[in-house]
Amino acid sequence: MLLQLVANGLCAGALYAIVALGFGLIYRTTGVFHFAHGAVYTIAAYLLYLFDATMGLPTIGAALIALTGAAVSGVLSEVMVYRPIARRISSPLATLIGAFGIYLFTVNAIALIFGNETKVLRSGVDITFPFGPIILTRFQLLAFLAFVAVCVGFLFFKRTQLGRLLLAFADNPMLVEVLGWNTSTIRIGVFAAGSLLAGIAASLSALDVGMDPYVGMSALLMSAVAVIVGGVKVFEGAIVGGILLGIVQSLVVWRLSARWMDVFTFIILVLFLLLRPEGLLGKAVRLEEAR
Amino acid sequence: MDLSKRCEDVPTLEVRNLTRFFGGVAAVKDVSIAFPPRKITALIGPNGAGKTTLFNLICGYIAPTRGEILLGDRDLTRLKPWQIAQLGLGRLFQDVRVFGKLTALENVLVAFPSQVGERFWEPVVRRAQTLKMQRQNVERAMALLELVCLADRANTTAENLSYGQQKLLAIARLLAMDAKILLLDEPASGVHPAVLETVMNLMISLAKQGRTVIFIEHNISVVLEVAHWVYVLDDGEVVAFGLPDEVIHDRVTREVYLGV
Amino acid sequence: MNYLFHILVMIGIYVILTQSLNLVMGYTGLLSVCHAAFYGIGAYASALLMTGLGANFFVTLPVSVIVSVLLSFVVSIPSLRLKGDYFVLATLGFQAIIFGTMYNWVSFTRGPYGIPGIPIPTLFGFAFDSPASYTLLSLGLAALVVTFIYLITSSQFGRVLKAIREDEIATQALGRNTVLFKTTAFALGAGIAAIAGSLYAGYVRYIDPTSFTVAESLFLVTILAIGGSGNIQGPVVGTIILVLLPEVLRFLRIPDTIAPNIRMMLYALALILVVIYRPRGIAGEYGFE
Repeated sequence: MLLQLVANGLCAGALYAIVALGFGLIYRTTGVFHFAHGAVYTIAAYLLYLFDATMGLPTIGAALIALTGAAVSGVLSEVMVYRPIARRISSPLATLIGAFGIYLFTVNAIALIFGNETKVLRSGVDITFPFGPIILTRFQLLAFLAFVAVCVGFLFFKRTQLGRLLLAFADNPMLVEVLGWNTSTIRIGVFAAGSLLAGIAASLSALDVGMDPYVGMSALLMSAVAVIVGGVKVFEGAIVGGILLGIVQSLVVWRLSARWMDVFTFIILVLFLLLRPEGLLGKAVRLEEAR
Repeated sequence: MDLSKRCEDVPTLEVRNLTRFFGGVAAVKDVSIAFPPRKITALIGPNGAGKTTLFNLICGYIAPTRGEILLGDRDLTRLKPWQIAQLGLGRLFQDVRVFGKLTALENVLVAFPSQVGERFWEPVVRRAQTLKMQRQNVERAMALLELVCLADRANTTAENLSYGQQKLLAIARLLAMDAKILLLDEPASGVHPAVLETVMNLMISLAKQGRTVIFIEHNISVVLEVAHWVYVLDDGEVVAFGLPDEVIHDRVTREVYLGV
Repeated sequence: MNYLFHILVMIGIYVILTQSLNLVMGYTGLLSVCHAAFYGIGAYASALLMTGLGANFFVTLPVSVIVSVLLSFVVSIPSLRLKGDYFVLATLGFQAIIFGTMYNWVSFTRGPYGIPGIPIPTLFGFAFDSPASYTLLSLGLAALVVTFIYLITSSQFGRVLKAIREDEIATQALGRNTVLFKTTAFALGAGIAAIAGSLYAGYVRYIDPTSFTVAESLFLVTILAIGGSGNIQGPVVGTIILVLLPEVLRFLRIPDTIAPNIRMMLYALALILVVIYRPRGIAGEYGFE
């Protein structure tokens, strides 16, 4: 029983980890609290719905469109909103509010077009695979596999020149610029990559449980919690945070109740912000030095 | 402000064996200096010598790794910056730090120590007193702005003043605070010669009143002109001290600055 | 005519809400997204006392303020040490926690079922049961709040808050306990927001947690961003525009099913444009720098 709960949590956490990695990548590299990550997530889910359910494309094709749409939306956020703001004011608060504006606009546009009800892409009982004492549905397995693929890809990427460049950029954007790299291109790349990750998680989740216009907000909040819990300064923090969050939530739902899960999650967020803002993987710093 | 009025009983500010490490690097190493009243003390030395760090330690923005900071016989070492300021230490920052969106007048007004109207219920329940205090303060503030030649810019927002004017405004703020011990970080940098003249005269008058003036400076002619005593810092340590003339022309100082 | 009164009542309530958030955000420079939680605490405090103990509305007012202020300390004392984004996140966390508690502590707050049957506020026998009289109550309280906030912000207290907003370190160097000032401003904001909550409860006479969500907090931030903050007029301008806009839409015959979405899209667009091109908003002084 416990093992099943952990497995469930792991698979849920796998999706959290993917979308959180996207969020963390953007936040750590560009400093933007990309509230609109939730909007990108929602766009991906609904693009999948549009092309898979409504237009009858094969799922793979629809998924590719969804992923592309996600990447494009992310890049548009940067180019059309964040960059103009940054050119005029250097305030993170202004960017945060701009990000919120993007989220608000997008989610309401989607609700306008598609309606507020939950849409499902698949119905009926799902195919399951037994693994010893635990049983995983097809989507749980897919989520886990996607997670492993993302992790492997990420670890591989870190060793490439591009990966090292991004890490350098995260630490010192000006220095990277001085060395001759085009920072605006790097930023666009980061938004594209981070949004792609959101798209992957969104598609998998949409195929599994369907969607409504507000799934993006949940995804965003879980990303933020995962990134804080795991650690902002280390990209892997998002991954660790996401997995842990999934597992802990699964156990809490079993032990306490599903209703209080959200409150519990946010209590964890607040505790980490106050007691260990650098996250589990971060180096311990005094509060005065924490960013 | 009447600069001829004497300022009595200003305690001596003293740092003893003050040390501060950042990681493995000692920014300030075993520094012991006493700053007596009625004197203008200059701190000079190359960039990175630890001068501003010393100011930050004294004013409470960072905590020392070792050593103590005393005001008279009162230990300042564990106090917070606002408590240290209330004890009479006024700070001029290297990057000035005026309140950009407030007018010059408001910048000075906000510097007057605890006023009626500062606790949130007072403007409502002690209305008459609050207004009276406000009127008095506006007069005092305008007088201070006159002193630093900014009276005609009283209603300009601080961010629209020139760097030199902002510096003068920051000094007016210190005067409004009635600071007994002034810590000035590069008061002469980036200002017009006429402004510089005003600043130097103010420093001299304030010391004559009985206050303690301590300043960090790179402009050696200013140091020679106003300082009573000079300390040379390098790599976090005091490497020389004495009368300005002697210290400035000393071999050690020249080595430290020019690497000769 | 009744419709006009309704609009005026809502304007009164939202003026109180935005002016109180203005104290925290526009004057002290703290972006708080948990303001709706204090709004809700005020509403629930009054509603529970009126329905549970039969207390008079005007007696519940100071109680709801005190409860809200006490809860604000739970938020502010730990969180004010956090910088920038982290402070905003902490307030977001508290908003979610407080909402979640309102929603799930069914034995105390009746959770999603809400609290029905809140009695009409009465004062010495006079019942505010007509739209006209409630408009008077709402606008009257709003006027009192605005006067209070004007008095305290145009004095040294307000000046210190603005100084903290501009440069906290320099303000400390002037001998001010900035943490105390920030905590005070936050508490005042929370207490005044509770007044709006009580007013709302007495007006709609049925409350449930869905009026006090993160979305509502963000809506208040939107009003301040568009109308302006950091002075008295910004929030008033913002409130009037954003409360009137839905009525304009109705006038344009936009169907009720999609009107809320169109409304939010317009707000969002306005928000983005304002942040890029006019950060101080239409009539404000503070531009998030």
